[in-house]
Amino acid sequence: MNRIVINTLLYFIIISTLIILIFPIVWMLLTAFKSTDEIFKIPPTFLPKNFSFDAFSYALNSDMPIFFINSIIIAFFTSLITIFVGGLASYGISRAKHWTTNAILMFFLASMAFPIPLLMITIYKILNLINGLDTYWAVIVGHMLITLPIVIWLMKGFIDDLPIEVEESAYIDGASIIQIIYKIVFPMTKPGVIASAIYVFVTSWNEFIFGLSFTTSTDMRPLPAGINLVFLQEFQYQWPEMMAVATIATLPILLMFLFLQKYFVQGVTAGAVKN
Amino acid sequence: MWLVFKRKPSSLIILFIPGLIVTSIFMIYPLINGFVISLTNESPIRPLTRFIGLDNYIYLITNPNFWEILLNNFIIIGFSILLSIFFGFSISLLLNQKLRGTYFFRVSIFQIWVVPWISVAILIGWIFNSDYGVINYLFMEFGIFNDKANWFGDSILAKIVIIIGFAWRMIPFMMVVSLAAIQSIPNEIIEASKIDGASYFQRLFYIILPLLRNIIFILCLLQLVKLFQEITLPWVLTGGGPINSTTTLSLYVYKLAFINWDFGLASAAGWLWLVFLLIFSFFYFHFFNRNYNE
Repeated sequence: MNRIVINTLLYFIIISTLIILIFPIVWMLLTAFKSTDEIFKIPPTFLPKNFSFDAFSYALNSDMPIFFINSIIIAFFTSLITIFVGGLASYGISRAKHWTTNAILMFFLASMAFPIPLLMITIYKILNLINGLDTYWAVIVGHMLITLPIVIWLMKGFIDDLPIEVEESAYIDGASIIQIIYKIVFPMTKPGVIASAIYVFVTSWNEFIFGLSFTTSTDMRPLPAGINLVFLQEFQYQWPEMMAVATIATLPILLMFLFLQKYFVQGVTAGAVKN
Repeated sequence: MWLVFKRKPSSLIILFIPGLIVTSIFMIYPLINGFVISLTNESPIRPLTRFIGLDNYIYLITNPNFWEILLNNFIIIGFSILLSIFFGFSISLLLNQKLRGTYFFRVSIFQIWVVPWISVAILIGWIFNSDYGVINYLFMEFGIFNDKANWFGDSILAKIVIIIGFAWRMIPFMMVVSLAAIQSIPNEIIEASKIDGASYFQRLFYIILPLLRNIIFILCLLQLVKLFQEITLPWVLTGGGPINSTTTLSLYVYKLAFINWDFGLASAAGWLWLVFLLIFSFFYFHFFNRNYNE
């Protein structure tokens, strides 16, 4: 009896917490399907009276698709490069236990605290000098910079768990270090690579100020910067359109999350819990 | 593998070359160069750059606005972290109960963590809208407010909105990490305490929390460092206003650099940010270790 009462109470608490936490996302979706007249009604309606796709078709006919594609390109190449650079370094850190490699790891951890706007000033000047502003590469460099420390940290944790004997026997068989990494280490630590790639992709998708300052033309803007500059200034009061834009920006990551959920959780917990 | 590297050090060096190039050009050089810039009045819109010594630092340190921003920064980030760790940890305790459907609850809550900051900002802006926002409507309906609150026009309310936005987005992260940490506690310890007749709350306060203290402390510091860099929410929602009440340090430095184009002053503020963060971390660890040893 007592157990039933406690369980009911726990369920009640969990479900009400869930409703409160999820409400903003649900509200975003519901508003996106409402008409502009409907959202200005008081009291507000919960479900849209008639589902209207106007907001979405409006968003899709604006610059949104361009921003969307830009973000995908940037996030994809950032993941690729960061995994390459970070993977090599994390392998070195993991396998060569020495005070220098330890120091390198510590440096990367500390570098998370480097103020990004401060670094941006000099990077901006470098890019300006080589005419690199307003390109995908300008943004990719910035995103790589902020994700590299976590990638190294994550991948090191995963590589630490691998048995060393396989690599050593491969080495004895005459494989080079690069071959060992691409043919043995990366395939064996697939969850680590995927978790890191997801982390980089999501961070790049999210990142705001590099996209805002390092691109100047609408064609080059990634999503957050584009949304901020085009929609937030022009469509201040068209909330259904704004919600449609926010939904479109969320959707790809959300889908990725639902399918690759396991790796998301691994990526988040592996780095934090182990140490 | 260590033997391999010893015999053939070049293979080890190859591994670090890409990372070394990237970090020296885009991290170390900008950091050092940032300090050099902070001693000048450099600006892309000013034709001549002059060396002005520590003037930028003196200007900032003697400027009450700067201290106010620093205080706001710690208030906003501090409360966001406290709120999110409290709720994140509590929810993880709930989900650790042997109940059906905890997997579903975990996934549903964790999905919040993937909502991009820009969407969070738009969303919060709509929910807290003063005329048609659902929060104002609900609060008036339940009689908590008599009148519509202008959430973004009042310096305290605006701070609260930003804190809620930050905390909401971070609760899932705190929850997932705490849950993993709780589940990493060896089962024997929990079982032994049950046999000794410890109640649930005794277990929580005398076994689980002390064991997780390390993780929670580090987790909070990592999130603090991360939130220091976060700009989207205050930028989109309030632009830092009203009267700087929601200007975080990162927003301030960013605005100085890329809105006012005052590279010199922005670099000085950036360096002060780094120094404050280092001092804070030092005391944080000091406090943590002292408590831990007792």
